[in-house]
Amino acid sequence: MFKTWISKNWVQNLILIVIFLVAVYYWGYVFEFGYKFNWSVLYTVNPTYGENLGFYLLYGLTVTLKITLVSSVVALALGTFFGLGRLSTFKPFYWVSTAYVEFFRNTPLLVQLFFWYFAMPHALPMEMRHWLFGFNYEFWCATIGLSIYTGSFMAEVIRAGIQSIDKGLLEASYSSGLNYFQIMRKIILPLAFRAIIPPLGSEFLNNMKNSSLAMVVGVADLTWQSQQIESLTFRGFEATTAATIIYLSLSLSISGILNTINARLRRTTYHQKDILSLGINLFTWPLAKTYLVIERIFSGLFPQKTEGLKLSRTQTIIKQASIWSWRVLVFLSKVFFAVVFAYGIYIMAKGLYSYNWQVIWDNLRTLLIWRFPQGRVDDIFMGLGGLSFSILMSVTAISISFFIGLIVGLGRMSKNNIFRIPCLMYIEFIRGNPLIIVIFWVYFFIPVFFNTFISVFWSATIALTIFTGAYIAEIVRGGIQNIPSGQFEAAMSTGLGYYRTMRHIVLPQALKQMIPAIVGQFIAIFKDTSLAFVIGVMELTYVAQILNNRLMIYPFEIYTTIAVLYFICCYFMSILAARLEKRLTPDKIRLRM
Amino acid sequence: MRFWKIFALAIAALMLSTQLAVAGPTYDRVMESKVVRVGMMTDSIPGAFFNDKNEWVGFDVDIAEEVAKRLGVDIERVQCTNRTRITFVQQGRIDMSVANMTHTRERDRVIDFSITYFFDGQKILAPVGQYTSHEDFVGKKIATMQGTTSEINIKNLLKELGDPNFEQNVISFQKESEAFQALKLGRVAGWSTDSTILLGYAAQEPGKWELVGDFISEEPYGIGLPEDDSAWRDSINFALQDMWMDGTYMEIYNKWYGPDTPYYFPMTDKIEVWP
Repeated sequence: MFKTWISKNWVQNLILIVIFLVAVYYWGYVFEFGYKFNWSVLYTVNPTYGENLGFYLLYGLTVTLKITLVSSVVALALGTFFGLGRLSTFKPFYWVSTAYVEFFRNTPLLVQLFFWYFAMPHALPMEMRHWLFGFNYEFWCATIGLSIYTGSFMAEVIRAGIQSIDKGLLEASYSSGLNYFQIMRKIILPLAFRAIIPPLGSEFLNNMKNSSLAMVVGVADLTWQSQQIESLTFRGFEATTAATIIYLSLSLSISGILNTINARLRRTTYHQKDILSLGINLFTWPLAKTYLVIERIFSGLFPQKTEGLKLSRTQTIIKQASIWSWRVLVFLSKVFFAVVFAYGIYIMAKGLYSYNWQVIWDNLRTLLIWRFPQGRVDDIFMGLGGLSFSILMSVTAISISFFIGLIVGLGRMSKNNIFRIPCLMYIEFIRGNPLIIVIFWVYFFIPVFFNTFISVFWSATIALTIFTGAYIAEIVRGGIQNIPSGQFEAAMSTGLGYYRTMRHIVLPQALKQMIPAIVGQFIAIFKDTSLAFVIGVMELTYVAQILNNRLMIYPFEIYTTIAVLYFICCYFMSILAARLEKRLTPDKIRLRM
Repeated sequence: MRFWKIFALAIAALMLSTQLAVAGPTYDRVMESKVVRVGMMTDSIPGAFFNDKNEWVGFDVDIAEEVAKRLGVDIERVQCTNRTRITFVQQGRIDMSVANMTHTRERDRVIDFSITYFFDGQKILAPVGQYTSHEDFVGKKIATMQGTTSEINIKNLLKELGDPNFEQNVISFQKESEAFQALKLGRVAGWSTDSTILLGYAAQEPGKWELVGDFISEEPYGIGLPEDDSAWRDSINFALQDMWMDGTYMEIYNKWYGPDTPYYFPMTDKIEVWP
């Protein structure tokens, strides 16, 4: 009886509504908050400051949008350049691109921003520094730093997209006599874009969320402004809720656009007459039209040469000369690049040599384990901190969030609304917000709802767990959806129930496919531990700041060292992920261009 | 069915237990558990900072230890920042915040304060010999920290001196150390906050930095306490006054701000003592 009732949609919805109402009633009327809410600070003129603080959030939103838009464009350019570089046969270019991608993907954005803002100007002469400072340095530092970071992810997306194209296609187009640019324009890129655009879109979304870190270098973005309202009025709960809602609607609208584009990409013909295609076509029509016009003008300017098979003597000479001059040009540009490359390495080596490594050596112990085991009684884990703390946090978070992700991912795919809707809300809510906002929520505001307090370490770990859980849930969902539905049907028809189908048939296969993605998520979470510094967790970034604060004159050494420490850990994990991926999908050939 | 019953019971039990966990008056709780949770800064030299042995020391730390000793309770140190020190007191995460916090009316609306335990004033730190008065900073960038009275004061000062871009010219960082680094980079012309903090940082590199101009404002420091708990407030106030009367206060003061220290800051005022 129970089963038949619970499988009805309206019963499920009713139960959800009742649970929701009970929660509202409980926290709205029964529960005693240790905190008095005052939502009016967000929309009325504050008597002390004579300003409507709601406008602060709007200013913050414009700054966030500006950073997001500019850095997306720059990141796309960087990503395309270095993504192609990763496929180049010219070794120095390949090395530079690989170094760029690996280094910036495997160090936390926060550390990079600190480095660009606080350490990099020390390397410049005074005049150049002042010239730089003449611009809006905070804004540009954050924007460019963000672009460089996002660019390294985009480069990998673009590389993977181009590599996903069948090698035979390339060979066929070469043998049909097209040149490099023609192949790119007509064959490879149109196909590659289809593979690239969905993951590229989620990089744009991440880029928007990562812009919240700009606040650490003093840029007044949305997160910063919500903190400002808190510090002016001590109404942190209200301000952060407002920021959360803005971020959520921003990312939901971005992912809405992305989903429409993805849906459009899945259609094969241009002339399908449905609302979706019409909308997109209307939007992209001017762009496509201008592109076609420009292409036509160009092909008009450089008409296809019709030459006979037999060339006259002068024609041969001209042709030979043009081929040779082209080769010389290519060779020269390669030499130029190699010289710049060598000079860059020389400068870097000289810089590294002039470092005061003794300082780092003396404080390495502090960076790795802080003051373990001589901690005070009120220190958590006998005064452990630094790198080992970051590792501890990320390992704890990934192990717990794996199970959360598994359950939520399965719940998200359930047909029963009681499970599906809360799981969906959890995933969208968490993925729609920057991690820093999630950390603020867990640290400051969850206690308001439960009147209990937990140490910074545990709040940060819980925040990371909740955050990662949502991402792993999506990985799980993707993994299960990749399993052919015939397997479900076969398992079900042999009489296995839902649980046993999942346990013995689907999950073993799906998990195997998910391993690389989960290792990738682990790298991300390890880097994200650096964000716990905002609430004062003794992890590597915070310890480095304390050290820098005390030693004062070695910012370059310290920030480089922690970047290297993060890099070593992440890089080894990413090598592991690549190995696993290769072993699980052995038939991949590296496409060379 | 059984699952749902157990589930409902568990939910009900959880709600009841959280209901019971509401914090009682601070004084009773501290005296019962014999532990006082004190919020302190980590980035304020010589208020509270990590020394080269990675120990958490400073004037505020010693004051907090002494107050706890006089109350006969143990101390639990909680790290806080300019932005979290008030929220923590509001939420009851800490029982007092000794975090170089200026006693202001706006803040007093949401939390309570002890009597003033330290007298400071805001100034501007700049490279030696480049600036002589506040007017020289008009149109230049100045660093400060988000969520401090210094941030509001310096904006008001620049506004009064006729700087049209006073909002853009004040860059608010999250921590003292970041503001000092921005000053060292040359990104900002000056760094403005309470003068003892400035002295603390300037003493790390003697002869390179100086304080410019007069005090911008008075900054009386108070210990932040939970709102409406007069038993708790009284016990803190009495402890502070006892420390003043038997000379312990001046001992601690001279340890950190005395003439022999790099952070010399003469004591000009008296702690309020009730007969």
